[in-house]
Amino acid sequence: MTYVDKPAVPNVVKYDEPMAIKRDKLKVILNTGSDIYQGACKKRGSTLKDEYRHVSGTAYMDPRDMARLDVKNWDTALVKTDWGEVVVFTAHSRDAPHEGQIFICKGPWANVVVSPDTYCCCDPTYKGVDATIEKTDEEPLLMADLMAKVYMKYDKDAEKSINHLTDKRINVGITKPEE
Amino acid sequence: MAYEEPIRDYDRIVENCTCAFCGCNCDDLTYLVKNEHVVGVRHACRLGASKIMEDMDQRLLVPLIRNEAGELVETDWDTALDKAAELIANSVRPVFYGWSETSIETMKQGIKLGEYVGAVLDNQATICHGPSLQAVQNSGYPVNTLGEVKNRADMIVYTGSNAMNSHPRHLARYAAFPRGYFRKKGRFDRTIVTMDPRYTDTAKMSDIWVGFNPNGDYEFYTALRAVLRGKKLKEDKVSGIPRETIEELAEAMKTTEYGCLFFGLGLTHSLAKQRNIDAGIRLIQDLNKYSKWNLIPMRGHFNVNGFNIFMSFEMGFPYGVDFSRGYPRYMNGETNTIDLLTREEVDVFMVIAADPGAHFPGGANRHLANIPVIQIDIHWGPSTELADVVLPGSFVGVEVAGTSYRMDGVPIYMKKAIDKPETCRDDEWIVRELYERVQKIKGEKIASK
Repeated sequence: MTYVDKPAVPNVVKYDEPMAIKRDKLKVILNTGSDIYQGACKKRGSTLKDEYRHVSGTAYMDPRDMARLDVKNWDTALVKTDWGEVVVFTAHSRDAPHEGQIFICKGPWANVVVSPDTYCCCDPTYKGVDATIEKTDEEPLLMADLMAKVYMKYDKDAEKSINHLTDKRINVGITKPEE
Repeated sequence: MAYEEPIRDYDRIVENCTCAFCGCNCDDLTYLVKNEHVVGVRHACRLGASKIMEDMDQRLLVPLIRNEAGELVETDWDTALDKAAELIANSVRPVFYGWSETSIETMKQGIKLGEYVGAVLDNQATICHGPSLQAVQNSGYPVNTLGEVKNRADMIVYTGSNAMNSHPRHLARYAAFPRGYFRKKGRFDRTIVTMDPRYTDTAKMSDIWVGFNPNGDYEFYTALRAVLRGKKLKEDKVSGIPRETIEELAEAMKTTEYGCLFFGLGLTHSLAKQRNIDAGIRLIQDLNKYSKWNLIPMRGHFNVNGFNIFMSFEMGFPYGVDFSRGYPRYMNGETNTIDLLTREEVDVFMVIAADPGAHFPGGANRHLANIPVIQIDIHWGPSTELADVVLPGSFVGVEVAGTSYRMDGVPIYMKKAIDKPETCRDDEWIVRELYERVQKIKGEKIASK
């Protein structure tokens, strides 16, 4: 059985945390990377399917952070960085505890929010990006919808306002001659 | 997980196949084939099995070209190849990115094409182990083979790598569990150390977990090196790790008989990038004063190392090779795909056996929306959503034979197990055909002048 509906995650346990006041928004450090569910789904080629959205577009969080944000497994949250914003699922991390950090598997969802800055070392900064996470009612988009909405390549009359990327660009001087 | 019936419904068995997933290149797989499709794989991990028993729903079978309305429409090979060749021949700054999931034979054709049109040839190392290669150029490459690790190593260190998730058979076949010539008891003869800020699945099964702070790799290795050189640490904690633990770990690493350090993307993707690996390599050099230590980078794709080795052999540089001046040139931060895309320099982007849509940051991908993109791949993926010309390739290691390099630099010939779908072509054939067509277009241009 190589297909999974959703990755197996632990259930959120109720924590006795007197200091855990409910918050609307958390400041976190965003890490991205790969895990076995994401790898298997991507390399099999099932990227258009609902499975890919669950294995790749999920923010794995510490249960304490989940309690603070008042989210459960497979609720949805909005992750924002300097580079863009994206709606993802939330789930209990298998690697917990790691308070103040969230992990999103690599894929189109994580790409929207990671930093393309390479510091002239060829590798973009995929790990350790400052981010905020807040609860939302929106559903994460499927891969094809997300690509269409974020990059708008074939959408001639798309409104710029729905683009999920910010206008922030790396300062590399003027690349295009002014006309 | 629920019990699964073994697969009994198959036509034939193909033995000793090589896995086309990660840098482990496990060459002991058995495919169960039915109606020219692999229905079962023996010995492979979940990742390898799922890749080999691919999802035929999303398999690209015919060439596609994007029409005026922005939809991909089916076309024939001649039209698609002519269109792609025309785009490449008329481009000023083409980038050919990918190559890591195809064979060395295809790369050979790719170099010919790249050199002819003055393109930038780059592979996935640019977003994964590029900094490792820079560090190797800075500090050296004390590498061994996985066979030596299996037979000799009594201490294995994983750092910034979650092998249980991304190279599942690495522990089982090469590093932790196998019984080697000098390690008769397998796992019981070895100490496994994981250094990772996250308590990963690999950390859970190892003997020692060193959970330093995120972005604290460089600090930690420097402290470890200082202790190895007999210095006394002044701080109580370095990068979140108590002084005593560092001293204990240094002692354990010194007294082992044969150690091997495997490092992954945790090092190359955090802020110090290649300096992290510099520190790691120098740590290995220091440890060699006391004992035998080596390192191996945990390469992701089955032939990502192959491109680097092949390119270094042919052109002198491992990746990000720029032919625009007529000779190979390599400059970090200038001739790498991500930098070229964020600077919006590229005017034609060809992606072969890779998926920038799934792996490049949005800031780099946004330029792909402005320029024509040619894709050579086997599955409809995130990059297909950005592609203008799609050429369906074939699956190296399953449908076509080819050479690949394992993470430790051992070349392995991957054999063919089944026939490819009739309408698909070899990657090698596609790139050669593109080269010939580009030659023709350029020749006509010169003749008309």
